[in-house]
Amino acid sequence: MEKPSNFTDDGRTGPEGPVRTLIRWWALGGGFVLCALAIMTVISVTLTATVGTQVPGDFEMTEIGVAVAVFMFLPYTQLTGANVTVDIFTARAGRRFSAIMVLASSAIALLFSILLIWRMSEGMLDLRSYNEVTGIIGFPIWTAFIPMLMSLVLLLVASLVTTGEAWHEFRESRT
Amino acid sequence: STSMAAEFNFKFHHLLGPKSPAHTKMIVPWTERVMKDSGGRIAIEVFPSMSLGGKPPQLVNQVNDGVVDFVWTVLGYTPGRFPRSEVFDLPFVHTNNPIATNMAMYDLLQNGMIAEDFKDVKVIALHVNAGQAIHTVDKPIHTVEDLKGLKLRIPTRTGGWIIEALGANPVAMPVPELPQALSKKVVDGAFIPWEIIPPLKIHELTKYQIEGENNTRFGTTTFMIAMNKDSYAKLPDDLKAVIDKNAGLDWWKEIGQIWTDSEKPGIKMAVDHGNEHIVIAGAELEKFRTALEPVVNRWVEEVTAKGIDGKALVAAAREAIAKHSKEGM
Amino acid sequence: MFIDFAIGLAGLAFLIALIALRIPIAYAMILVGLVGVPLLSGVDIVLSQLKDLAYSQFSIYDLSVVPMFVLMGNIATRAGLSRDLFTAANAWLGRFKGGVAMAAIAACAGFGSVCGSSLATASTMGQVAYPELRRLKYSPALATGTLAAGGTLGILIPPSVVLIIYAIIVEANIVTMFMAAFIPGILAMLLFMLTVTIFVTVKPSAAPKGRAVSSKELMEATVAILPVATVFAVVIGGIYLGFFNPTPAAAVGAVLVWVFGIVRKQLNWAGMKSALLETCQTTAMIFLILLGAELLKIFMSRGGVPIAAAEAIQGSGLSPMVILVLLLIALIFLGCLMDSLSMIILAIPFFWPVLEGLDYGMSIEDMKIWFGIIALVVVELGLITPPVGMNVFVIHSIAKDVPMSETFKGVLPFFASEIVRVSLLVAFPSIILFLPRLLGN
Ligand code: NA
Ligand code: NA
Repeated sequence: MEKPSNFTDDGRTGPEGPVRTLIRWWALGGGFVLCALAIMTVISVTLTATVGTQVPGDFEMTEIGVAVAVFMFLPYTQLTGANVTVDIFTARAGRRFSAIMVLASSAIALLFSILLIWRMSEGMLDLRSYNEVTGIIGFPIWTAFIPMLMSLVLLLVASLVTTGEAWHEFRESRT
Repeated sequence: STSMAAEFNFKFHHLLGPKSPAHTKMIVPWTERVMKDSGGRIAIEVFPSMSLGGKPPQLVNQVNDGVVDFVWTVLGYTPGRFPRSEVFDLPFVHTNNPIATNMAMYDLLQNGMIAEDFKDVKVIALHVNAGQAIHTVDKPIHTVEDLKGLKLRIPTRTGGWIIEALGANPVAMPVPELPQALSKKVVDGAFIPWEIIPPLKIHELTKYQIEGENNTRFGTTTFMIAMNKDSYAKLPDDLKAVIDKNAGLDWWKEIGQIWTDSEKPGIKMAVDHGNEHIVIAGAELEKFRTALEPVVNRWVEEVTAKGIDGKALVAAAREAIAKHSKEGM
Repeated sequence: MFIDFAIGLAGLAFLIALIALRIPIAYAMILVGLVGVPLLSGVDIVLSQLKDLAYSQFSIYDLSVVPMFVLMGNIATRAGLSRDLFTAANAWLGRFKGGVAMAAIAACAGFGSVCGSSLATASTMGQVAYPELRRLKYSPALATGTLAAGGTLGILIPPSVVLIIYAIIVEANIVTMFMAAFIPGILAMLLFMLTVTIFVTVKPSAAPKGRAVSSKELMEATVAILPVATVFAVVIGGIYLGFFNPTPAAAVGAVLVWVFGIVRKQLNWAGMKSALLETCQTTAMIFLILLGAELLKIFMSRGGVPIAAAEAIQGSGLSPMVILVLLLIALIFLGCLMDSLSMIILAIPFFWPVLEGLDYGMSIEDMKIWFGIIALVVVELGLITPPVGMNVFVIHSIAKDVPMSETFKGVLPFFASEIVRVSLLVAFPSIILFLPRLLGN
């Protein structure tokens, strides 16, 4: 939050245009999940206050829903460079240096997404083999890993795009 | 903390804080005993408050995978994962004696009836707390009918079924939200043991503490202390023997005593505060038993569908608990 | 043991270097954790934990309140509530000399009561109030300084995302923290207004005379802030009085603001889309930092760093008050470089264990509250101090004609008033503890 939210991906074009559109809509999808959770929560507190029941499993679905939404937000955040940095020591650094640091950051994001895809796939299989479910409505937790893994694949794609851009910038800055 | 001289440095990870009775009265004394019995060749460092990462439901995976060597955790944090031992959560399986119930868990682990749940770890102990009592904000409960329509917080998965079966409305919420919910009557009460009274100041938020005669409770929560299998396997035989000796029936009984004792300050605090301690007896308590039997049947049906002989488990658990309860008299 | 500790310290140095080199803070923490844990305990540990660590960190119920409040604030930003607030505050305060600047501060406080972020508050109110301040010939320093400082009210007055994160880290009650923040927040608003008064008294050329307002105008403007007042009353009032827990309250708030925006025809699909995408960026950023912090925590715990650091400081022979002041100075220093949220997530896990073991003549629960609010104020100071003053940057992006050095000059009197406030809060903990005691259980 402590970063001005003026990062947008609008106005950029190129071969990866459809990829950007997909990632933006994926993030919006996460936003819809969040809105749906908000509405469900409002219904649930209204029911609790009036008739004394609640939407079954409301709080465990909120937990899982928020986790899914956050994963869906990751690719867009990477694509738009909205992860917070400390710029003070490098404020006077040249274009070349900046390009190298963006390249390094994108590379870390790329490795991180690959690592998480690998590990969380295994985590999903574990959860499935152990039949782990949520406490109240018995929702199988491993199924929530499917949108999470899809998000990580998009994070990988987003990191490739930002890596490519940084590489391009690095090449340009040499001349 | 670990010592340089030890041959084996182990990590014990759990969810509660360093001042909690589980940490100071159960876990730390046990690790000290193991270290001493090993002649200093085993060192165990205890990490409370999830300080080695993850949330409480991850403790099971952590000990399976060897992220840590020991954990203490609640089986109900990972619903579906310990389907057989869930039998001990059911109402009127455990009734009033944690020592007897722990001994029964020991029997069922030894005879293989619940062993499949724990095939991935070396079990150091399984145990229960004293069991769920009823706490209400402003309604005294003397009969099953008194509970009708009340909003009560769910203690465990099957605890929700218990509340439904009693004609009340189950409300699920995380434990830390309970005090606020009680103080504003978002819920009318909760199913929790006495031992939770002091940390959450339940006595200030409720007027009535209700249980059955002879400390009879309505379901309980099951816990385990487990060791990673490889960490155990790599020990030489004499050190394996040290672990085995400290994972025996005596230890399970001792835990039962620790948790029985942990109840007393809680109810005393409530009574001293001016709360009424209601004890339901005789025919009225029998009505609770009758009302709650469908919960047991519901559970049997559910696990039978998974290919587990629920009926036999309930029978075996009740029988073993009855047997050990008599021994203790 | 010693070698583990040394590796832990080296990891921290590496982390600082990465952050200084402009690697995103979240990825810097993730990288250090991913490299550090294998160095101490082998690679299998970290590979096993990664199977569900991210899921477990993102699915914490207490954290679900964060995206809800972020969503609420972003919708409020797009729903035109800020203009109504400023118009109303201006109707009441605009008659005084320097009154429009005071109105901007009051409006910031009002917006802060529905928005959990300081930058969003500065940005929204800046866009609304800055053109008006300039039109009325307020000095550039006063105009931009007021808005940069006023924006900090966004995290001081509940809801506050930074405060939620603090509460989760030290395991304090979020509701209690929200109660505790209220009076210090109002105090900040009043001191800021007093600062404006002193500013225009010392330097009368900085602000024009006020203008009179008809009672009809006054009435209309006041009625227009009913939506914000309603949302605040329902959400924060509901939390204070115990009708809601924080997550349901935030959900209700988000839906209410959404409905107001639609009913008042100020929130179209484009606005909603922006609100959602901004929520996406902010939320992902926060959660990714929290994941990094968890990996770092695992590394540090395994290296024994937090315990050793706490023992070293506690055993240093310094008095508890001196230690507190030193830690606060460290926070101010960090705040010069880093944004407030990263700072809380990075520093509090090290600072809290130190304080927890010291005697400040109050219970641990009271200490959590007291220190949390003071830390929040100090952290929020970092938003207006050079060289990295995020609020100043935000205002600069709106007021491009004013050099940033001018804004930092304009902020200086407000900085002074904040130092006064911190001293008051340290000396009189009851300013903080009064409301939680009154409303608490
Ligand atoms: Na706020
Ligand atoms: Na700063």
